[in-house]
This record gives sequence, structure tokens and C-alpha cells, in this order.
Amino acid sequence: MDWLYNISITCFAASYVVVFLLEISRVFFDVALRRLIRVGFAAAGLFAHSIYLVLQGKLEIDSTGVWLGSWFGWCLAAAWILAAAYLWISVRQSKSVFGLFLLPVVMILIAVGSQFVNQPPFTPGYAKTIWNMVHGSALLLGTAVVALGFVFGIVYLLQASRLKRKIPQSKFFRLPSLEWLQRSSEVSLVMSTILLAIGLVSGIAINLIQRAASGETGAVGTIAWSSPVVWSSAILFLWLLIVSIFNVCYRPARHGRKVAYLVVTSFLFLVLELGIVWWTGHATTPRGDKEIVALPVPADEVTLAVKDSIHREVSE
Amino acid sequence: MNLQVIGCSHHQSSVAVREQLAFTEQQVKPFLDLFYDRFPESEAVLLSTCNRTEFYAASQKPNAIPSQSEMIELLAAHRGLKTSQLDSEMFVHNDRQAIEHLFTVAASLDSMVVGEAQILSQVKRAYQLAVESNQTIPMTHQVFQSAIRVARRISNETEIHANRVSVPSVAIGVLAKQIFERLDNKKILIVGAGEMAEETLNYVLAEGGTDIAIINRTLSRSQHLAEKFNGRVGDWSNLSNELAIADLIVSTTGASEPIVNSEMFDQVEATRKQRPMFILDLAIPRDFEEEIGQRLNVYLYSLDDLQKVCEQNRRSRATQYPKALKIIRQETDRFLLDLNRRSSGSTIAQLKRLADEMKVMELNRLMNRIDLEPEQRAEVEQSFNRLVNKILHPPLKSIQSEPSQGSLLDALKKLFQLGD
Repeated sequence: MDWLYNISITCFAASYVVVFLLEISRVFFDVALRRLIRVGFAAAGLFAHSIYLVLQGKLEIDSTGVWLGSWFGWCLAAAWILAAAYLWISVRQSKSVFGLFLLPVVMILIAVGSQFVNQPPFTPGYAKTIWNMVHGSALLLGTAVVALGFVFGIVYLLQASRLKRKIPQSKFFRLPSLEWLQRSSEVSLVMSTILLAIGLVSGIAINLIQRAASGETGAVGTIAWSSPVVWSSAILFLWLLIVSIFNVCYRPARHGRKVAYLVVTSFLFLVLELGIVWWTGHATTPRGDKEIVALPVPADEVTLAVKDSIHREVSE
Repeated sequence: MNLQVIGCSHHQSSVAVREQLAFTEQQVKPFLDLFYDRFPESEAVLLSTCNRTEFYAASQKPNAIPSQSEMIELLAAHRGLKTSQLDSEMFVHNDRQAIEHLFTVAASLDSMVVGEAQILSQVKRAYQLAVESNQTIPMTHQVFQSAIRVARRISNETEIHANRVSVPSVAIGVLAKQIFERLDNKKILIVGAGEMAEETLNYVLAEGGTDIAIINRTLSRSQHLAEKFNGRVGDWSNLSNELAIADLIVSTTGASEPIVNSEMFDQVEATRKQRPMFILDLAIPRDFEEEIGQRLNVYLYSLDDLQKVCEQNRRSRATQYPKALKIIRQETDRFLLDLNRRSSGSTIAQLKRLADEMKVMELNRLMNRIDLEPEQRAEVEQSFNRLVNKILHPPLKSIQSEPSQGSLLDALKKLFQLGD
């Protein structure tokens, strides 16, 4: 099974690029077996992506003490969720070219993640606590769902605009129905609100525990509202909360373009929030303190040791 | 090959002539009986649809089928017309052309709406009626069975049937599905109860629509449609409330003024909470004011808008036309080849028998004159066999591979003095 260690980002990124090119080709011509090849490449890419994440996670646990405890791993995990969503949607909505809109987000996440290979990992001490795991997982899932909702929203606006302008649907450029897009946008909005609420609450808990542990004077029971990460997260959560309440209480908000506008705006908020989190170096140790190990890397002592440890575990 | 077709269609005949030559199913059998009284050695099939009437005659015997003028006379006499009225309106095709024509018709390439599926079932029904009149129609059986197979092949191998081209089918089967994921949980309102409403309801039902309300000024007509499509009859005076709860509205009234104007729609909109609404205004003049289509989450399509989609789909079908024609030519060649193989079978057998008799006669004469060892005798026999086979091979191959080898076959019969 050593070949699994040779799986690199290039492997699954290339698979997604091929799938994306096949999606583009759907706009221009029809050809037999393309769907099979497209789904096959997407499944192969997802498989390689999964293996990479598992092995990368193992390396990160050994190196930093936490699974996917870095911006690098976090971006790749978010990309994996969206790639899995693509595979599911391409089976459910096989005639639509939804991948044209979703796959670029997957590839952007992988590209951004690749830029963070040498970035410092999240602070190991914090990452190991249950609160940090809940915090990281909820934010990761929430981010992926908001990104997915963004794509649903964009596609909804395109489809609604086309129908409103009475432009006949091209044989090769089919989009899902407005009803399906609206329902998917709604679900993603509610889910992302819940997940980001969990992320925010767990973040506050971490903040309180951290301050209590550090013994800061008068810090116990208080939240560092001055921190850009805290206030920007709070704004994002409040936005999603208001949108969700608005969605439940005000019936017109549930229909049509309003949902689409809301999910698109939520995504913009999220991008802003992630920018602030990254810029402030939230949850990371200072640069150069400890770098994560990314697969594949030369067979140096670190990776060999990790491989040996995995083999030992498997054989045991 | 003895096949002839005369007929009229929307391509070259006026509606008046088509109407006069249209046959109901009940009228077909008496006409075919009349045909068999006059031409007992022939076979006949009559295909009559709203756009065409085609009269096929065939026979396995040469020169047994009626002539073009005899067929027109028979048709005119049966319909109480003068032949001069039909002469310029009718087309005639013989043999290969006739086969190609039938294949083209069955595959819906000759229809007014290219690719419409109904014609194939009409061709099948015409053949069934012909069989009911005469059980022994081997020639037309081969041609019509091949036509049905060719139509299916074209349907499978081309996209000639892929896009819908009628207004109601495009409205419900294409556009409604771009807005709604499913119709079984949608409230459907049909305003008006004419032919268009009825045709549209067929597609609504086919797409799974169940919650149907029909509203019409004349109650009896809406009741008839409601019974037929298991719908509910709405009250015309309650139109605003019906509009407020509907998701899909199909309007087909013959009103001279819009039945829903902006003011009326304001009230409807107030209670809908911006729920998406798909309005198919299939009426001329239009039933909904154009401004309504600008409202939020309202998708208003008029007959003109739908015609554009239909036209686009027609163009898309037209791109498949050359591919379908190529299949028809291939299949016509194949059919004629098979037919000729079968029809030339007895002549070829006669020729082989004749050659064999001559060979045996000459061989016996030779063997009586010279004394040979058994091995030598076998060698001579083999040599005679090879000689006969080598002589017969080129003419037989030419006959079997020539699609229209009637003249070759006739020449062969004359040259070797073979019977029919």
C-alpha cells in the first residue's frame, strides 16, 4: 500500500481539472460515455483526495498533534466536502451543468490551500481540546455549506434571469429547476447558520477557558470583543441568524431571488471573515515556530518515521 | 418489385382536397373490398391521417398492380369526385421511390411537425386494417414491417424526436420543469376549457399534475374537462382567489380583452407572498396584461414566446434530417437487396438445376466412353463441378448484389429459357 503515499495534490487537482474541462465541453457538444468518464474522474479524484487527507491528517497529528490543524488541511478538507457535493449533485441532477459553477470553488480552495503548505499550524495545545475540535469542525462544515449555498444562489439568479428574459434553454447548457435551487439555497442557509453558531459558541468557550487558564486579571467570564476575529465572527453569525429568522418569519423571503441574494451575501461575509481570521493569525503559532509536514515530501526521516508508525499500527 | 403509391399530403395538396380524401377507419374496409373486387391479384394499404391520404398497391406478379390512373379512378369514384379534380393534386411513386417514401413517412420525416410520434402508430394501424381486409398480403407485409423497423432505428439513432415542438408540450414538458421540480404537489389552474386547454391538460397529467382546477365562463364545458381529467371546477367569479392559490396557470380563453389586468393582479399578488407563479398565456388575444410578467417571481409566457422555443426545437430537429435520410437510403438498399435475393431465389435454383443436369449428362456420356479408375473418376467429377461453379458464380453474384436487378433477372430467364 506504499503507493498511497505517492498521492499528491496534483493527482486529485488534475482529476478535478479534467472533470471541469469535461463540464465545459458539455456546453458545446454532446458525446456518448462522457457522463461516465466525468463521474469516474470525479470519483477517482475524490478517492485520491480522501486518501491524501487521511494520510496528511496522520502526518499532522504526529507533527502538530491535531488532524487538519492548519490552513492547508482546512482548505483541502473544505474542498473535499464540495467535491463530494459535486459528485452527489452530478448524479441527482445529471443533465445540468452545475459543475461549471461548483468545481471552480473546489479548485480555488485547493489552490489557496497549496499556498498555505508552509504556513504555521493551528496552536497544538488548543487544537487538542474538545472545544477546539468542535470549533474547527463546525466552522469547516459551515464554510463549505456557505460556499455551496453561494453556488446555488448564483445558479438560481442565472436561471431566474434567463426565464424572466424568456431566453430558450440551450440543449447543452441546462441548469436545475428554480424550485430545486431555491430549496437547496434555503437548506444551506439554515445549515450554515446552525454550524456557524456552533462554531461561534465553541469559540467563545475556548476564549473563556483560555483566559481562565492564563489567569488574566478580570478576564474570567469575559469575551475579548476587541479581537477582530471575535467581532467579525459575531457579525457573520448575527447576519446568518437574522437572515434565518427573516426567512422563517417573512414568507416572501423564502421565495425566489431573495434567498439567492441572501446566500450570496452570506458567502461574501464569510470570505471577509476568513480573511480577517487569516490576517490576524488566529489560532496559529507565530510563523517559523513549527511548520507542518505536507504529503508528498522527500523520504526524509520524519516521513519515514511516520510511515513506520502507521505500519506498526496496522500490523498491530 | 411491384409497388406503387398514390396520395396527397400537406406538401402539395390543398386542405379541401385532403378533407375530401380523408377516410375514417370504418370507411377503409369498404374501400379495400372494392379494390380487391377489381384487382384480385394485388395487395393494398390505405393510410389516412389529417395531413395525408396514401394508397399503396403491390403485387408479387409482374404487371398485376393497377396503373396510376386506375388507382386515382378508384379513389375518385369511391369519394364521389372526378378524376380531373385529383390528377394535379396527387403524387405517385413507384418501387424504390415508393419504399423510400413509406420509410420517410413512418419515420415522421415527411410530417408537418417533423419528429412527431403519432404517425408511426397511424402507419401501424393502416397496415392492421389492410390485414383485416386481406390476410395474404406478403409484399406489403414486408414493406410495412420494414418501415416500422426503420422508424424505430431512426428514433434510436438520431435526435429527431428529442425536442418537443408543440406549444403545450413545450410549455409543460420543458418550461414548467425549468421552474418546478415536480408538478404533483403544485396547484394547477386552467382558465378556459377549449381544445388547447384539453391538449395542455394531457401534458399536465403526463408530468404528474394532480391538483387541477378548471375555470370557464361556460360551466358545462369546464365540468366536462374536470370529469375527464379528474379535476375540480372553479367558479369564474372567484378567479382572483383561484389565481392567488395557483402555482401554474394555463389560460386559453377566447376573450377579446385581457381577463387579468394589473389592478386585479395587485390583489392576487398581495396574498401570494411572492410565491413563484408560472403563467402560460396561450390565448390570442392575450388573457394577462404584459406588465404582469414584470412582477417579482412571476414568469409569464405568451403564445409568441412559446412559438420561439418550438421554432428553435424544430431547427434542432432539422439538423438531424440528413442523418435520418442517410439511414433511409441505407435501409431502402438493404430492403431491395433482401427482396431481390428472395425473389431471384427460384430463378437461381432453376439455373443451378439446369447446369447440374447438363453436367451429369455430359459426365455420364464421357464415363461411358472411357474406362477410369475410381480415383480418376472422382477427379473428373470434381473438375466438372468446379467448371460449372466458376461459370455460374459471376452472373449469380451480379444478380444477388444488384438492388434493382429486375432486368438482369429477366435477361437470365430469357438467355437460359427459364420459367417464372
